[in-house]
Amino acid sequence: MNLIYTAIGFFALAALLGMYLLTFVLRGKETPKAIVFSHGPMAVVGLVLLIIYITKGGPNPWESLVLFVLAALGGLYMVSRDLTGRPIPKALAVGHGLLAVAGFVLLLVFAFGE
Amino acid sequence: METQSFWEATTPQRPDYPTLEGSLQVDVAIVGGGITGITAAHQLAKAGKRVAVLEARRVGGGTTGWSTGNLYVPVGPYFHHIAKTRSQEVANTVAQARFAALDFIEQHTRKYSIDCHFARRPWYFFTQEEDMASTIEKEAEALQQAGMAAEFVTQVPGLRFDSVQRAVRMDGQARFHPLRYVLGLAKAVTQMGVQIYEHTTVVDLKEEEDHCLLTTTQGTVTCHQLILATHIPIGIHTVQTVAAPYRSYVVAMRLKSGAYPDAYFWHNDKTHHAITTHSTDSMVLDMLMIAGNHHKTGQASHQEYQHYFNELEAYARQHFDVASVEFRWSAQHYRSGDGVPYIGLTHKGSKRTYIATGFYADGLTYGTVAGIQLADTIAGEGSPWLETFDATRGTNLSTVGKFIKENANVAAQYLKDIPAGQVSHFADINPGEGRTIEVESEKLAVYRDEQNQLHVCSAVCTHMKCIVNWNNAEKTWDCPCHGSRFMTDGSVIEGPAILNLERKAIDPKTGHLLESGGKTSGEREINNPIT
Ligand SMILES: Cc1cc2nc3c(=O)[nH]c(=O)nc-3n(C[C@H](O)[C@H](O)[C@H](O)COP(=O)(O)OP(=O)(O)OC[C@H]3O[C@@H](n4cnc5c(N)ncnc54)[C@H](O)[C@@H]3O)c2cc1C
Ligand code: FES
Repeated sequence: MNLIYTAIGFFALAALLGMYLLTFVLRGKETPKAIVFSHGPMAVVGLVLLIIYITKGGPNPWESLVLFVLAALGGLYMVSRDLTGRPIPKALAVGHGLLAVAGFVLLLVFAFGE
Repeated sequence: METQSFWEATTPQRPDYPTLEGSLQVDVAIVGGGITGITAAHQLAKAGKRVAVLEARRVGGGTTGWSTGNLYVPVGPYFHHIAKTRSQEVANTVAQARFAALDFIEQHTRKYSIDCHFARRPWYFFTQEEDMASTIEKEAEALQQAGMAAEFVTQVPGLRFDSVQRAVRMDGQARFHPLRYVLGLAKAVTQMGVQIYEHTTVVDLKEEEDHCLLTTTQGTVTCHQLILATHIPIGIHTVQTVAAPYRSYVVAMRLKSGAYPDAYFWHNDKTHHAITTHSTDSMVLDMLMIAGNHHKTGQASHQEYQHYFNELEAYARQHFDVASVEFRWSAQHYRSGDGVPYIGLTHKGSKRTYIATGFYADGLTYGTVAGIQLADTIAGEGSPWLETFDATRGTNLSTVGKFIKENANVAAQYLKDIPAGQVSHFADINPGEGRTIEVESEKLAVYRDEQNQLHVCSAVCTHMKCIVNWNNAEKTWDCPCHGSRFMTDGSVIEGPAILNLERKAIDPKTGHLLESGGKTSGEREINNPIT
């Protein structure tokens, strides 16, 4: 379970940075790249820890994993748009956040639910 | 002292070429009118192709006109290094290609009677330090293996350097006036039917299945093949992950004695200095130049750029009887991962777009190599140099360390873009000074000129969004990621960025950003980027 708790820690930090980034996207401002390149890697570390946990067998938070993977794909797409000078669709940024939050909530339920 | 290139200042007549207006259809469009673009145009016209050269500023006004005018077979990253990162065969091909390019320049100077002070002379490579002797020895051996007549010597004539530890000499190298040469060749290519357009910035390019389409500031060009002879390809290309931008510096001086040594020298101790001499208006040598002090573009130590010039001047005064400093300037070079340029199709899937970059500061010769090779390839004649310079080769095991180092450096630049900590205000900026500051969650590049007028642009580079840094020696905004450089009005000087920095307007009373500051475009306002 330690792996899950650490993953939750990384996802929580990623979520905080993500919310901060969202304020830039929604105002149509340039995202600060230090935050972009911290948010993504933190979420990736969380995701990798989650995958390691799942490969160990037993009851698994599959729903969270799927939601996080979808959110990660959305995130990669947004970074590529951002760096190549194309605007980030606001709906996509919000959708990415909602997917990740849903995955996070399910993960919390899985870890602390019983 | 303002920065100004000796070559720009000593070029008497400069023909004006028109700006492209409307649409144009050619076999090959060449973006960039430096030595690479003009040489390619010459060779393609000779092969019977319809060619147009599109130049954002003036022909030869890019790095070609801001170089040091030396032509030589040796290379900055060293042949013995290339033999290690690639193979001895590759090193041999590079040497042969450079040898051929030197001959090409000599022949065409004669053929078109270009008054560019071309003269053959030796190259010396020497050190005063015991530790560096083995580098000189290895390089001489690599040159000899490549069939070049490099020989060890005990003296370096013309210089007053004590205790030279090791020295090598190679005859048959040359000097010339690069800007006069390119302008002379440009005149010849127009007589061969090539259309040259100046003040014509390419702002968009597309490779389609059966043609390429270029959009310029006032027109469009449709072509079968496209050459990006822009020193580093403009826009976003994978080669930018392996070709890193560096700046280096040049100081040009007159000597009291008038005893200008007639050779090109590389003095390699802990630091590298290139020593050369040139003539202003005849074949008589009357100018000494010292070049060196490389650093990554936009990343000067302590963000202070003047000291690079001062160090070169101090070096010159230590070794020569300097009468006066006449010119000083700086220019950019791009380093390839394995020491060999990238010349050819831009990526594996591309059929029509060619690039030429990663020349180090050896690109007057490499630009000629590139022009010949690309034209031969496009004309279907094949080229023996193709594989050696393959632009899609990426990185290999022996260069992966350098690849990681350069790209980690780029990542570190992005990580400096934090939203806090830059709380300076417009009032903190002194006349003649530039700073990046943050206003209403936007990073701004702000310059206050000597008349107290503020020039405000977005500090976000239009290439891939790094934050630009102020260059206090040249009064420019330099991007530390891939080397794009911008003037204080935001217009692109060089590098991969196509669009200018977005201009911003502020309310002088409140210091707040106004809604519209002005659109970003690719238009480059003036010819001379620095002065
Ligand atoms: C300090 C210094 C000294 C050097 N000295 C030597 C030397 O002694 N010998 C040597 O062999 N090499 C030397 N070099 C290297 C050499 O100068 C360059 O490698 C060479 O000039 C590159 O030529 P080029 O034609 O490829 O690029 P450039 O001369 O830079 O030409 C590129 C052109 O493309 C144009 N362009 C860019 N973007 C656009 C656009 N969007 N639309 C239209 N046009 C565009 C630019 O305006 C420019 O004119 C030196 C380099 C430095 C930095
Ligand atoms: S040059 Fe690439 S981000 Fe500025």
